[in-house]
Amino acid sequence: MRYALAETTPIAGATAPGPAPYDEMIDPDGDVRPHYAALARRVASLSDEDLAERQRLLERFFLLQGITFTVYGAESSTERIIPTDLLPRIIPAGEWATIEAGLVQRLRALNMFLADIYSDQKILMDGVVPRELVLGAPSYRREMQNLFVPHQAYANVCGSDLIRKPDGGFAVLEDNLRVPSGVSYMLANREAAKRTFPGSFRMAGVRRIEQYPDLLLSTLRSMAADWRPNPQVVVLTPGVYNSAYFEHAYLARLMGVPLVEGRDLVTHDNMVYMRTTTGLRRVDVIYRRVDDDFIDPLTFRRDSSLGVAGLFNAYRGGNVVICNAPGTGVADDKAVYAYVPEIISYYLGEDAILPNIETFLCREPSQLSHVLANLDKLVVKAVGASGGYGMLVGPHASRAERESFAEALRADPENYIAQPTIQLSTAPCLIDGAIDPRHVDLRPFILSGDKIRVTPGALTRVALKKGSLVVNSSQGGGSKDTWVLGETEAGEAGA
Amino acid sequence: MMLARVADSLYWIGRYVERAEHMCRLADVLLNATLDRTESSGQVARMVISAVSDGEHPEDVSPWDAAMAITMESGDSDSVTAALARARENARQVRDQLTTETWERLNLIYLRVTGPRANREFSDAPSQFLHDIIADLHLFKGAADATMSHGEGWGFLQLGVFIERAQLTGRLLQAGFGRSLGRPVTEHAAMTALLRMSCALEPYLRKHTADIQPRLIRQFLMFDEDFPRSLRFATARIEEHLSGVGRNVDLGGAAGPERLAGRLKARLLYAEAETLTGEDSDLLVATVLEECARLHAGIYDTFVAYSLEMRLPA
Repeated sequence: MRYALAETTPIAGATAPGPAPYDEMIDPDGDVRPHYAALARRVASLSDEDLAERQRLLERFFLLQGITFTVYGAESSTERIIPTDLLPRIIPAGEWATIEAGLVQRLRALNMFLADIYSDQKILMDGVVPRELVLGAPSYRREMQNLFVPHQAYANVCGSDLIRKPDGGFAVLEDNLRVPSGVSYMLANREAAKRTFPGSFRMAGVRRIEQYPDLLLSTLRSMAADWRPNPQVVVLTPGVYNSAYFEHAYLARLMGVPLVEGRDLVTHDNMVYMRTTTGLRRVDVIYRRVDDDFIDPLTFRRDSSLGVAGLFNAYRGGNVVICNAPGTGVADDKAVYAYVPEIISYYLGEDAILPNIETFLCREPSQLSHVLANLDKLVVKAVGASGGYGMLVGPHASRAERESFAEALRADPENYIAQPTIQLSTAPCLIDGAIDPRHVDLRPFILSGDKIRVTPGALTRVALKKGSLVVNSSQGGGSKDTWVLGETEAGEAGA
Repeated sequence: MMLARVADSLYWIGRYVERAEHMCRLADVLLNATLDRTESSGQVARMVISAVSDGEHPEDVSPWDAAMAITMESGDSDSVTAALARARENARQVRDQLTTETWERLNLIYLRVTGPRANREFSDAPSQFLHDIIADLHLFKGAADATMSHGEGWGFLQLGVFIERAQLTGRLLQAGFGRSLGRPVTEHAAMTALLRMSCALEPYLRKHTADIQPRLIRQFLMFDEDFPRSLRFATARIEEHLSGVGRNVDLGGAAGPERLAGRLKARLLYAEAETLTGEDSDLLVATVLEECARLHAGIYDTFVAYSLEMRLPA
């Protein structure tokens, strides 16, 4: 069986056809890469009906587990599962070693950056990062200034977005240090893949990711004060209507800790308690899945009903730990992103193992004019936005869309950055019963507490629309399981 | 130790699941018993309608429409689908407290009754549809029993089940024999239908043989020690689970709902069942319903919405 490669010019209207995207399974000569060989043989041996049946099995698994989001219609609401692709994405051991080292290095540097920003601000004094860029960012929280954070671990859970460039190298597209989500899909995809491809899974020698909840719990525990012998950890969720609610409940269940909402917590004498059936019980560590703005109406947004009044004072008093720390967003700001390589060499004296994507800051007049002149080749993003909102994919946009975006750019250049349109790598996906390549990215999850740990696995997000480069689930993206292979290439040995 | 909000949700899951099962049986028996146009079929229809409605009974509703309303009408908290949707909504809010096995059962039932084909399945074969829901609910209860820890969370779930059950059986007794509502059931077929609605026909026959009389039915549904839907059985379980969950609550000397539950249990345990007149039975059923309502409020006040001043750490 031969596989089609993505056409080299999937982008209509692109002025210059860029290099062809890297395909995860097929090399440029059309042969299956060695780490995919076993799976490719297995897939080739299955009929279309077999594949469809497995896809149904997979979808039923998600539906049964309640891994759904609700689509609200005019008359009634229906529940849909997040689109999930049957065929796993495979990463060989050598490539993963680079990714892992790069992620650890990056998070170490970013935590040091945050510790510095919220204390002496040496990096600003030395002029490595522009002062106004950091202190003027809406995600900078002056309330965090000089506040003790154990192990200097500000971002306890980080989900970085990596992409593979046409030359085969990985690069970091975005750091998510606020409340990154998606880890439950990584785990659920794995559970499902073990049911759909048990044989190939065993043969490939895939590394385990099931320990993630245990590692998360020990990371969170390591943030508690030493004198609290048995720290009470809780997961704070905005509630059942949040689109990531399944994930909050899933992590709480697998860690065996209570899933609380703001209304379950009260503060008294700068301590945080939860309301239990038998009275109040002290809380030590809050893994919060609520944005900074909403965690404490007395400190941040006053109209928030999701948080706990007085929580931040309890945190300042050292009586409770909030994970991730408030104010981490300043380090994953899309404008600060451009300086991450400098941040890494400033604190660690090392070169970045994982490179950045070239980024133009529209706040600089010279870069702005370059961006405006090349709007049809660039991706422009609003600095504060996430989830694929507020962005323009130049080559895919119509002339009118580009013109109205240029208007917005000129009006508020500080709010935008631009990056070249990168051909994300493609991986084979099962689309309407046939196997067809789609663009994918990679979101691994990194934990940092007393030490930094990377789970050998990731969420691979898929742009299900042919040719599309937008993988966000809010914009028609799906996901698939990601197999990180162990040191020995068991996939080949077993064949 | 469990979150107050979680305990409340588990309690409501118990109530809604029990209610859904009961409503299914009412609808099923109603459809079955009203196939002919006899006096007994009229009695059954009146009994079901007065058991599910509060006070006003529209007289001219056809049995089919009534069964449809009991089963499918959404928005009304006393329909099967509405009860299941709420049970599942509560389960979603405490998803971390339920085992996957238990959650899957409830989620499946919910997906079926709210799915696009539900209305047609009901219209095509209502009896089969209702029977399947009841069977699935039994699977849910079985999965919960077999996989959940029988600790505090279980206690709240069971409290919901048995308080709801005592109230449902009480209301059915009022609808069948209550003098205040007039027109008690007298026809043999209507009395068997009543037994069927509380799933009591076979256990009743085993105890009293086919000797079907109002006095014995009443005695059975109120005072039988072993039948799981009798008032005596339900109130004994309420007392048992309440003393379990209340063990660690320090009320500072005030009386909790356990006292009320103990008294209610004793009322049924020590009643002079054999000589009780119809009038006294009516009174006792009314007392049971009233005390269940007070227990419901008492549980909420003691475990969920307690005032913080009373419980601040010393």
